[in-house]
Amino acid sequence: MRSSEINITFPSGWIDGQKFDQYINMSAWLHNEPVSKITFNFGNGCKVMVDAAVRILSLANQLISCGKNIYLVFADGQSGTMGYLDRVGFFDLLDPSIKTNPDRPSVSSATLHKDTNQNLVEIARINPKARDNSLPSRLSERLTNARSGSNDGQLSNATYTVFAELIDNIYQHAATSVDGYAALQVYRNGNSAKVVVCDSGAGILETLRPAITSERIQKLNDIDLIIHILNDGLSRFGPSRGCGLKTSASHAIKYNADLEIRLPKSLLKLVPSRQVYEKNTAHYSDNLSLIWGTHICFSFLLN
Amino acid sequence: MDRADGWGHEEGRQVHLKLLSRVEENPADLVCTISLAGVERTDASFPRESVIELARRFRGHRGFCLTDIENPDLLENWDAAATKIEQPICVWNGGNGTFIGPKSTEGTSELLNYILSNPFVTTSGVVSKFKLVVQNASNKLNRLWKDGYILRRECVSPSGGTEYQYFRIK
Repeated sequence: MRSSEINITFPSGWIDGQKFDQYINMSAWLHNEPVSKITFNFGNGCKVMVDAAVRILSLANQLISCGKNIYLVFADGQSGTMGYLDRVGFFDLLDPSIKTNPDRPSVSSATLHKDTNQNLVEIARINPKARDNSLPSRLSERLTNARSGSNDGQLSNATYTVFAELIDNIYQHAATSVDGYAALQVYRNGNSAKVVVCDSGAGILETLRPAITSERIQKLNDIDLIIHILNDGLSRFGPSRGCGLKTSASHAIKYNADLEIRLPKSLLKLVPSRQVYEKNTAHYSDNLSLIWGTHICFSFLLN
Repeated sequence: MDRADGWGHEEGRQVHLKLLSRVEENPADLVCTISLAGVERTDASFPRESVIELARRFRGHRGFCLTDIENPDLLENWDAAATKIEQPICVWNGGNGTFIGPKSTEGTSELLNYILSNPFVTTSGVVSKFKLVVQNASNKLNRLWKDGYILRRECVSPSGGTEYQYFRIK
C-alpha cells in the first residue's frame, strides 16, 4: 500500500473545536494506515482557541504514537498563535518527536508564568500515574472568580464538582497510554469561559455499551444514550456507580453551560433547555475523522 | 483525608478502608458519627465511595451519621450520592437531625421526626403516640429500619417477652 502525506491548513480567524473538525474532516482519516505524514499548517492570522488546542494536542500525540510523522507549521511564528500555544503549555506536552516550524521555544512560557494569569489554567496532564490533586481546585477557582468575581460558595462547589468528576472518570475508565488533558480559558470579549477535559481512550460509548445489561438502554442510539448518561447516569460497574457525568452535567446546567462532546467519530453539541440537556436542542454530526477518546468542553457564560 | 477537598473514587476508597477498620475494631459500637470538620468540598464520587457505600453495607446493623458540616453547599453532592445508592444518611446540626438521600414517605416522615427527637421508641409507644393499630405501627417502624433510616435492638419488654427498640442514628 502506498503511503500518503496529508496537509491540513487552518485559515485566518478563530479556530474552535468545531472548526478544527471541519478542517481535518476535509482530508482522509488521519489514523488510516497509508497516511504516513501529516502537516498541520496554521495560516496567517489563525487563532486557536483552547478547545481546539487540546484537541490538536491529543490528536498529534495519538498519531505520533502510531508511528506517523507529524509537523506543525506556524505562518506567524511566535508572534501568532504559536505564542498562545506556548503560553498554554501546548509544547510542554507535545511529543518531542513532533517537529515544528519555527522550532519550539527553548524556554516554555507556560512554565515561566504558570498560574499567574487569572483567565487561564494551562493545559494539565491527566494520567493516573501522575495524579495532580490540585487540578480540580485550580480549574474551579479560575472559573468561579471569572464568573462571580467573588467568593461564591455554591458556584465554587458546582465548578469543583464538574472538573473533579470529569477528571476522575478518566482515571477510572480511560485505559490509554496517551495522556488526557484539561485546560481552562476565559474569553472576556466573548463573555465566556471554555473548560476542556479529554482523554485518548476508547470513547465513552465504546466503553459503556458492552456492559449495558438493560435491553431498553442497549437499544438507544448514540444521542439518546449520551442524553441518558447525562440525565440519569450509567456505569459499566453497576447501578450504584455512574454518577460522574450526570453530576457534572447537573451542576453545569445550573449555570446554563453549553456542552460539546467529541467522540471518536462523532460530535454532539447540547444546550441547556428547561434545566436539562435535551435531544431536541442537540446538534449531532457523525462520520467525522477519527480522534481517540472523549473530549468534553463546557462553555460557561460569565454573566 | 490529607486535604480539605475530597476527590474521586480512589481517595474515597482509601477513606472507606480506614473507616471499615475502625468499625471492625469497635464491634460493640452500633453508631459511627463522622465529623466533616475541615472538609471544604467534595465531588459526588468521594462520599459515595467513602461513607455511603459503607453505610449501605452495614444497613440494619450499624448506622453512620454526619456532623460538623461547615459548608452547607458540601451536602449537595453527598445528597446526590446517597440518593443514587438509595442509602439515607442522617446529618446532625446540634440537636436537629435531617436526612440526605432518598426521602422518607409521607406516611412515615412524622414518625421519623418523632424518632429523631427521642433516644428510642417501641411499637407500643408509637401505637399510643400516633393512635395506630399495632400492625400498622410495626410495619412502619420495620420499613424505616430496613430502608436504613434507623436502627433497632432486641430488648426484654415490660411484659417479659422480647420487643424491639428502634433508635435514631446519632
